[in-house]
Amino acid sequence: MIKINGLKKIYGATTVLNIPGLTIPKSQCFGLVGNNGAGKTTLFRIMLDLVRATEGEVMVDEENVSKGEQWKTKVGAYLDENMLLSFLSPEEYFTALRKIYHLSEQDLNLHLEKFTDFFNGEILGRKKYIRDLSKGNIKKVGIAAAMLGNPEAILLDEPFENLDPSSQIRLKKLILKEKDANQVTFLISSHDLNHVIEICDRIVLLEKGEMIKDLQEKNAMAEELNAYFNVS
Amino acid sequence: MVRNLIKLEILKRVRSTSFARSAAIGVFVFFIGIFLLGYLFLFGLVLNSLVKNILEKDDAIHFINSCLLYFFLLELIYRYFIQQLPVISLGSFLHLPLAKSHIIHFLLGSSFISPLNIISLLVFGPFALMEIKPLFGVGPASIWLTAVVLTSWSIHWFILWFKQRFEDSLIGTLAVFTTLLISLGANYLGLYDLGAFFEPVFTFALESPVPVFLLLTLVILSYFLCFAFYRQNAYLEELSEREHLQFANKNLGFLSKFGLAGEMANLEWKLIIRHKKSRTYLMLCLIFLLYGLIFYNNPAYQSATGFSYSFIFVGTFITGIFMLQYGQLFLSWNSPVFDFYVHQKNGLKALVRGKYLLFTGISLMSFVLSIPYVYFGWDVLLIHLATFLFNIGVTMHLVIYLALWKPKPMDLNKGSMFNYEGMGLSQFLMFIPLVAAPYAVFLPFAFWFGDYAGLLAMSIVGLFGILIFRKVSTSVAEKVLENKYEISSAFRQEL
Repeated sequence: MIKINGLKKIYGATTVLNIPGLTIPKSQCFGLVGNNGAGKTTLFRIMLDLVRATEGEVMVDEENVSKGEQWKTKVGAYLDENMLLSFLSPEEYFTALRKIYHLSEQDLNLHLEKFTDFFNGEILGRKKYIRDLSKGNIKKVGIAAAMLGNPEAILLDEPFENLDPSSQIRLKKLILKEKDANQVTFLISSHDLNHVIEICDRIVLLEKGEMIKDLQEKNAMAEELNAYFNVS
Repeated sequence: MVRNLIKLEILKRVRSTSFARSAAIGVFVFFIGIFLLGYLFLFGLVLNSLVKNILEKDDAIHFINSCLLYFFLLELIYRYFIQQLPVISLGSFLHLPLAKSHIIHFLLGSSFISPLNIISLLVFGPFALMEIKPLFGVGPASIWLTAVVLTSWSIHWFILWFKQRFEDSLIGTLAVFTTLLISLGANYLGLYDLGAFFEPVFTFALESPVPVFLLLTLVILSYFLCFAFYRQNAYLEELSEREHLQFANKNLGFLSKFGLAGEMANLEWKLIIRHKKSRTYLMLCLIFLLYGLIFYNNPAYQSATGFSYSFIFVGTFITGIFMLQYGQLFLSWNSPVFDFYVHQKNGLKALVRGKYLLFTGISLMSFVLSIPYVYFGWDVLLIHLATFLFNIGVTMHLVIYLALWKPKPMDLNKGSMFNYEGMGLSQFLMFIPLVAAPYAVFLPFAFWFGDYAGLLAMSIVGLFGILIFRKVSTSVAEKVLENKYEISSAFRQEL
């Protein structure tokens, strides 16, 4: 599904990201962990062609993201609030997206129905602009928007941050359900080790832009990650 | 799709907080805009009689044609300063399945809807109608006008490209200043008359439609130059505002001698040079230093005895413009981080003191820089000294005291031209007492005892204000402390 070849991002003299090669197959739940400044968000931004890579390329289904734009219909993403149109109410935002994705109203309603529990009655019909929602609720809007339009891959940057515990559990269920039902590939960066270990099939550990661990064995993940992150 | 984007853009403008928050100011700014455009239109209406009767040129068309170059140079400059780059909303669309080229076309297109683009039409439209049409007929008049408007539109796209490509770089600044110098200096010094050199281009437009086609090509080319550049660089970090810190991390060392207040003044200084809006105010301070050139050697303001009373006004502005402008929004500058100051021990008190220090420092700097005006006579130096003392003794307290009345939050990263965020009615009304105060002291004394007695009175009142500085600044700090809950909750509201 997604393939990275010789990717480098260099600011001035410092290399902030250096990934020689990485292949993410379809319907994998891919976790990305690492301390602050490890390059998680930069990697996601380059994958979405929001930031220009210094060297190398990112391929989505054999299409270079910086060359073509066909991949945009296959990839949904929510990285930060800037991706939303914060001057709209959530309903208006979803409607705007519906038109951009060429969906019918019914499609949109079906999609939003999946999020009824997750939204917990605090998003729709509240007559508030997105910019006036709380951080957690803004995140919920972004996640629902990222999943709109049946994307084949979804990138989420710290999706559990700012969510209350119940919403975190609901989100995990949503992700697993989408993955099983529609073969969606998920790329999730997070600081919450328990959550990523629980839902991800594979976890990559970044340190200062380098991939230092690529864990595919579910049973060994917890031990390996705890060993890395435990500082004394 | 384009229709949807347009709808979103309209919603965005209507719901932009500065608009929604104070509709009154929105209306006010709108009317100011209408007035300015109206004046330009009036100017256009009288342009031909102006040229013929006042400047006494026989061939008005020839004269205007040779002046057009200066108009366009001027246009380059004001567009460079006023025109906004249309990149703000890029981040919310880039990840969606919309073709990048569509997004860029849309951004560029929406930038085109701007009052700046009808200025040339307003100014030269009446001229074409009233002067060229009777002499040459409808065809040539409309071709001439089209040529002028197309040139102006090419400048629109050129500036969009230029600002994005060279903003904050040395080449950009150099190019702008060279243009400024050429446009101001060349004709004035009579070294070479550039205008006459370009005059045939527009004269040619009276005879043949060829220039229109050439200029149309130029508009299209400049559009695609712009488009290609934006399309190439449609990445978050490249089209966003580039912050450059090379000169912005200097401390004003002497300030640290004043303890915590000095540190606060230092922080404030960094705030000023690291934000667009405040930087503009500082630049304004430098520009106002030249303000005196208009008045002091102007024969209209020379009087046989003493000096013209309007010089008091000029002096107040030269030595105090920063204080007047920046001080109006006294606490609003700190609105994004106000809680930080509240949270510090003695933070608010030091903040207020720090601002006093900074205002005094910058005022003093303006005064020192204005000393060369002594060239126009000792009177000018005396006026500047008196207004300087009055400014830091009285006006400063007045500004700050008035500014504490209902401060409003604002976003420091937006440009400052026609940006009235943080301005309430109180900020507009403030100007009246500020301008009136020096005259209230000066006029009675000048009337009874002569002009110099008036200046002396201003200086004495100013010195007295400086003497009671500690008391006044403490009472202001106390007022801020007293209202800190109201102020900080007002600032915490979403912008």
